[in-house]
Amino acid sequence: MRNVSRTLALAVGTIAVLVVPFVAPNAYILSAAVVVLSYAVLATSWNVMGGLTGYISLGHAAWFGLGAYGTALLVTRAGMPSFLALALAGVIVAAIALPIGIAALRVRGASFVIVSIALVLVLLLVFQSWGEFTGGSNGLVVPRPFPDLLRPEHHLVFYYLFAALLAVVLVVWWAFDRSRFGLALKAVREDEDKAQSLGVPTFAYKLVAYTVSAMFTGLGGGLYGLWFGDLDPIFQFSILVGSYMVLMALLGGVRHLFGPLLGAVVVGVAIEYFKMEFGDTQFHLIATGLLLGVVVLFMPDGVIPAVSGLVDRFRPQRSSIREVTADEVLDRDRVPETPEPTEARR
Amino acid sequence: MTGSLLLQSLVLGILLGGLYALLAAGLTLYFGVMRVVMIAHAAFLVLAAYLAWDVNTRFGIDPLLSLVVTVPLFFGVGVALQRLLISRLRPASLTMMSVLLTFAIALAIEGTLGFFYTGVQRRIQLGYSGASFEVFGARIAVVKLIAFGLAAVALLALWLVLTRTRFGTALRATIQHPEAARLVGVDTDRTAAYGFGLGLATAAVGGTALSLDATIYPSLHWHWIGPLMAIIVVGGLGSIPGAAIAAMVLGIGQGLLQLPMGTTWAQTVFYIALFATLMLRPQGFFGGRLAQRF
Repeated sequence: MRNVSRTLALAVGTIAVLVVPFVAPNAYILSAAVVVLSYAVLATSWNVMGGLTGYISLGHAAWFGLGAYGTALLVTRAGMPSFLALALAGVIVAAIALPIGIAALRVRGASFVIVSIALVLVLLLVFQSWGEFTGGSNGLVVPRPFPDLLRPEHHLVFYYLFAALLAVVLVVWWAFDRSRFGLALKAVREDEDKAQSLGVPTFAYKLVAYTVSAMFTGLGGGLYGLWFGDLDPIFQFSILVGSYMVLMALLGGVRHLFGPLLGAVVVGVAIEYFKMEFGDTQFHLIATGLLLGVVVLFMPDGVIPAVSGLVDRFRPQRSSIREVTADEVLDRDRVPETPEPTEARR
Repeated sequence: MTGSLLLQSLVLGILLGGLYALLAAGLTLYFGVMRVVMIAHAAFLVLAAYLAWDVNTRFGIDPLLSLVVTVPLFFGVGVALQRLLISRLRPASLTMMSVLLTFAIALAIEGTLGFFYTGVQRRIQLGYSGASFEVFGARIAVVKLIAFGLAAVALLALWLVLTRTRFGTALRATIQHPEAARLVGVDTDRTAAYGFGLGLATAAVGGTALSLDATIYPSLHWHWIGPLMAIIVVGGLGSIPGAAIAAMVLGIGQGLLQLPMGTTWAQTVFYIALFATLMLRPQGFFGGRLAQRF
């Protein structure tokens, strides 16, 4: 029963994604839909690392920017065909993420977050200053892969390209989630010391998850670069983009396959709306800040558990005589998320 | 490269290092008492700088006088922040979630500053703005020296509070061993709140010092947050002497590297130091083993 409804929901969701371009009233709405889909790709890619291991990277915009610039530079400087450049940029991002991951994953928690922020800031610095290679603050124009397409058709093609990439990332997350590998990553999330003492090669696994996550974020960035056609370090290596990924994943729920996607739809639509209505003020910053604060304070597990908890209240209870089952008591008393080592408890 | 030029950049590095040391000490204080990494520290720094600018342009008085208002104000805001927001986070995920929460606060402050003051770059014009004097051929701007003096006085005051007062003893006890501190009768919750306020008060001093000599704009805090975060990781999270020494060393390093590399590239010294530290000594040069786990 549960399986049938799940398949049905998946089918309805897929069809809904596929028909959006046909109900979109104008090219602007269609381009906004492309942006939301690109956010969904980024948030789901982020979740490969953040959701499974519990390592929160605020700096995934670094991989987004490197993917975009890598693709653009390969097209403009090496004269490669657009999509070959995109694939190669993904490989390059993975190759860069590996050594960075070796350094960054030697620390946990807050130090890791600090390192991830530092990564974006240093890349912003490099790409702004190294003007003769990257175009610096003047930006970099990426030639369009389909020069003879009109604007709406261009959006349409990229809408489906982003949808395809999103499907790939979702399948990867789902496969990780169900595998032994994913189980080990989740053990890291729950209690890294214990996982390590049980013989899980935590460092290597974290590194693989980090690299895969970075690569897909880079591919998302590269595709964005090909679609948008104009890069500027300020926007590609923006802490704000990195925080959007975290906000979307957290809002939807990092432990669910479709959590980041849901978060991307909610937050992405909100961002587009705020930019349209209050584009010239700094209001979108305040809104993002407030939303992130509310999510962190009141629903750190995301919307999906919060809503399903609400729905469960009105469902017939599974336990018959007892008010709560032993399992539920255990679940209720469990310390949520990663327990810190004892010396950390205040 | 002439000797006086070298001396000049050395002096500039030391003056800058003093300001870094003050701000990094504040960050270390939050981490010590609460295990909180306060991303919004630099945003409060910029906020204080804006308030100093406002006081100066609106009433025409010296920005240093704004300290009379901003220091107690920031102390109160810090206590309120800790009491109302940060203490509500689950203990199990406190470190991680506090980063996100303070990040959200930083965004909100940047947005609010942009809303009220617009994105226009501001600078305080003072009678002594252009004044400078020479020591052995090195030219030192008076405003930079005042900023350094302010940082030195604030650091000294912080040190005196921490070592010479009952509150300082309680705060250090809370940092070292919260359970034991509670056992001997320290109200650790209140101490943590005051410790947080104290940390934010250093941002008020730092921001005012910054406003004397820098062009300020709402997104300036991103420029500061990277170096400051790098300093506390290099020094070892939670270690105040570590933060101060790392701040001085990296500040001087930045000052010296500005000669051959230019101001922008010299900034990278912080990030290179950060990644080198992670490879060599992930817990930082003064942090205990504990620092690696957060």
